[in-house]
Amino acid sequence: MSFQYPLGLLGLIGVPILILIYIIKSKFTEQTVSATYLWTLSERFLKKKRRDSKIAGLLSLILQILAVVLISITIAHPVFTLKGAANDYYFILDSTGSMQMVSENGKTRFENGKDKIREVIEGSVDGSFYTLVSVSNTTDVLFEKEDNREVALELLNKAEVGYGSANLEEARTKAQAYYQQNKGVRTFLVSDKGFEKGDNIELLNVSDGANNYALLDIEYEHSLLGVLTVSGKAVSYESDDTVEVRLFIDGETKDEYKTVLNVKKAEPVSFTFEVNVEWYDVASVKVMNQDNLMLDNEIIMYNVKSENSYKTLLVSKTPVFMETVVSIVSHAEITVISPDDYLELEKNNDSVIEGYDLYIFHSCNPKAVPRSGSVWFINATSSVENSGFGFQGEVVLKTAETIDKTKNSSTVIRDELLKDVLGEDIYISKYARYDTSNRKFYTLFTYDGDPVIFSGTNMHGNRQVVFAFDLHNSDFPLSADFVTLTKNLLDFSFPAVLDETNYVCGEAAKVNVVSGSENIRVESPSERSSYLSMNEAVGEFLLNEVGTYEIKVTTKDGLKTYRIYSSLPVSEQDPNAEIEKEFSLLGENEGKGIDGFYDKLIVFFICLAVIFVADWMVYCYDKYQLR
Amino acid sequence: MKRTIINEEFLQQVESLQTLIRNNVAGMFGGTHQSKSYGSSCEFADYRDYVPGDDITKIDWNAYARFDKLYQKLYLDERQMHTKIYIDTSRSMEYGRADKAEQALRLAATIAYLSLSEMDKVSIYAIKGATIECVVEGMVGKDSFVNEIGKLNEVEFSGDICLSDAIVPSNVGYGDGMSVIISDFLTDNDYESAINHLADKRRDVFCIQVLSPDELNPKLRGKVHLFDSEDATRIYRKNIKKDIMKAYRKALEFATNRINDLCASRGANYLLVSSEDKMGDVFFGKMVEKEVLK
Repeated sequence: MSFQYPLGLLGLIGVPILILIYIIKSKFTEQTVSATYLWTLSERFLKKKRRDSKIAGLLSLILQILAVVLISITIAHPVFTLKGAANDYYFILDSTGSMQMVSENGKTRFENGKDKIREVIEGSVDGSFYTLVSVSNTTDVLFEKEDNREVALELLNKAEVGYGSANLEEARTKAQAYYQQNKGVRTFLVSDKGFEKGDNIELLNVSDGANNYALLDIEYEHSLLGVLTVSGKAVSYESDDTVEVRLFIDGETKDEYKTVLNVKKAEPVSFTFEVNVEWYDVASVKVMNQDNLMLDNEIIMYNVKSENSYKTLLVSKTPVFMETVVSIVSHAEITVISPDDYLELEKNNDSVIEGYDLYIFHSCNPKAVPRSGSVWFINATSSVENSGFGFQGEVVLKTAETIDKTKNSSTVIRDELLKDVLGEDIYISKYARYDTSNRKFYTLFTYDGDPVIFSGTNMHGNRQVVFAFDLHNSDFPLSADFVTLTKNLLDFSFPAVLDETNYVCGEAAKVNVVSGSENIRVESPSERSSYLSMNEAVGEFLLNEVGTYEIKVTTKDGLKTYRIYSSLPVSEQDPNAEIEKEFSLLGENEGKGIDGFYDKLIVFFICLAVIFVADWMVYCYDKYQLR
Repeated sequence: MKRTIINEEFLQQVESLQTLIRNNVAGMFGGTHQSKSYGSSCEFADYRDYVPGDDITKIDWNAYARFDKLYQKLYLDERQMHTKIYIDTSRSMEYGRADKAEQALRLAATIAYLSLSEMDKVSIYAIKGATIECVVEGMVGKDSFVNEIGKLNEVEFSGDICLSDAIVPSNVGYGDGMSVIISDFLTDNDYESAINHLADKRRDVFCIQVLSPDELNPKLRGKVHLFDSEDATRIYRKNIKKDIMKAYRKALEFATNRINDLCASRGANYLLVSSEDKMGDVFFGKMVEKEVLK
């Protein structure tokens, strides 16, 4: 306890003075009277006194001393700072992923941390203030300067653990700002991280030596040849151990998908899986050992193209090349019909053909471009309504000639379309000359200045690819660039909603807002929904949970669901790791608590003092005849 | 210590007081008073039945003629009274804020003067211990008062007294006047026997209790150690508060009532006088109220 005005305690000097006066005044004064007869006689008329009469005689003095002491203390304005006094409590609660680790008592570290905070709050006295800051990817103030203990406990109960890594610098900045306002604040850091104790911080560590395994640096690749390669590292943070890692393809595993690793404590061991699989929707690697933090034991890899399954209508008399290559580079559902059948169909349906994501017209000249879906024209020999280009006639070369990779200026789209295309010599013997001046197309290859492979959008706004030559009159299907260019053109025709399906919690995931999308809804692992803005080409959202996020894209053709996996940050996988950086608040702690409830008693103290002073006056009047 | 209480100035005051008394009241007992015994003076007093042996010259024949029964006439006797004044000369009478001794002497002198004015004989006695000392013996007439009363100044107040032990053995007379006792009566010693004895001797007894203001309304508060002026072994040690003051007042009331009741039971007069009271107030106020003066 300290005093705001210590000079007020000088009033205590009055106590010995009071006692001195009492002693002096208490001496018997000798006096001679004419006769003591009446005084002695008065004894007969005196009421019998109680035994405590002597104490009662002193009671007045005791009350007077109390009055002096209380007045002095009241003037000195006591400030209670020791145990049992009110305080301003500031709690920083680590809500990161590692706090989900289950401790020996069956509770998570986060729950244990909340219990420790609860103990402090319940042990505090009335009038204390409480502030709780939850730290994960973001720093959130759950309640500030709450003086109602019950409310504070209720809000504490509602606090939820996050998945990300701790943004402790922001938390420290906030705590420092709060500390600047009140140098008497008691700041607690509740975490499982191995912080060094700094100045003005009380650490409440909730870590324990629980078993913990994790997967690190997971990478995967699915080649065009159908080989899925998954590599990564497994680690045991607590002890040397044997770790079993398994690969799952679409939920199934095999013996060859399993590897057992002998790992030393905190030393990651690499592993690689190479499996032949033409297609998969989801693959995952998983540590099969049980531990106390399961969040980092599994990494799920969604195939970025899994939802890019296209219904393709291939109109061709000789569909072999296209059917094969499209099947290889995409997850297409291909329907093949002959040009005659298509024309008949077009005639019967009044030129309205719908229901496909991609229309490939190989040596077929439809009357009009389909209203929906991307369109590829291969060797169109007449103008097609709404295609954006006009047929100007066939050019037959005397000898096969090579076509040239465009030398037009680089653009983002052209670069994407020609990505990984080597520009090998491609010979053609005949091509169609088209007029593309009415619409902007991206020319990829030319012959003698005429565009022979170009892409763009047709009059319906759908993406369109044009080959001005018949593949059968070219060696193009035999070149390596054919597959690559086809893949690029398919990607162009069906832009991927996701470029990446694996993130770390705390990162921002990117979603391409493809044309035709009406809305994009994101559902978190805890089934919290949010909608992305459709105004930007790329929508972003923060991953603050560990697990699978579903991105549901609604188009006029229906709903497509894409998935990404958010994994636990590496920094959260080993919460027991020593953190050299100490957590401290700058500035000298003044050690002053707050008056809290006692402040309200000051008025009561003053009233008491007034009463006792009055008693003192009456006492003097009665006893010492001060009149 | 010689006093100067009875001086020329005081005597003039007494003279003026006597004049006032004569004009306003019938006077006190004295030489011209009728005695309460029936005698042979010519003033008729009452009748009684005749019994054989009575003086037949005092038979009222007129009454016999009317009532056919013999009645004896009675006459009041007239004689000179002897007023005896006893003054308590203990130490307690001289102690206090206002001197009770002086008041006692003034009272004695004034009563003596008034008695002499009634043609009575007056003697004044000082009670010392268990004896009485004669201060003035058998004064008759105002001349003797002037000559003798100054002796009161020589009365010394000391020691303790016992009224009964002093008065009872003395010659108090019989049915021949008034006995005045002036004292504070603040004693455990017996004084009831003295009053009883005087009453038995058919004396008119008049007890005047003189108390000082310190005794009537003491101002003591707090822790006090009181010594008795007459006897240092008598002490009183208390922390005086309201309750004790209340008890004191009850004790005072008890003590005065005890004398008053005793006097009333013996046909005596009693008067409580403060040592601060003026003579005029005592004689015109209290004595008239008590019907001591008529």
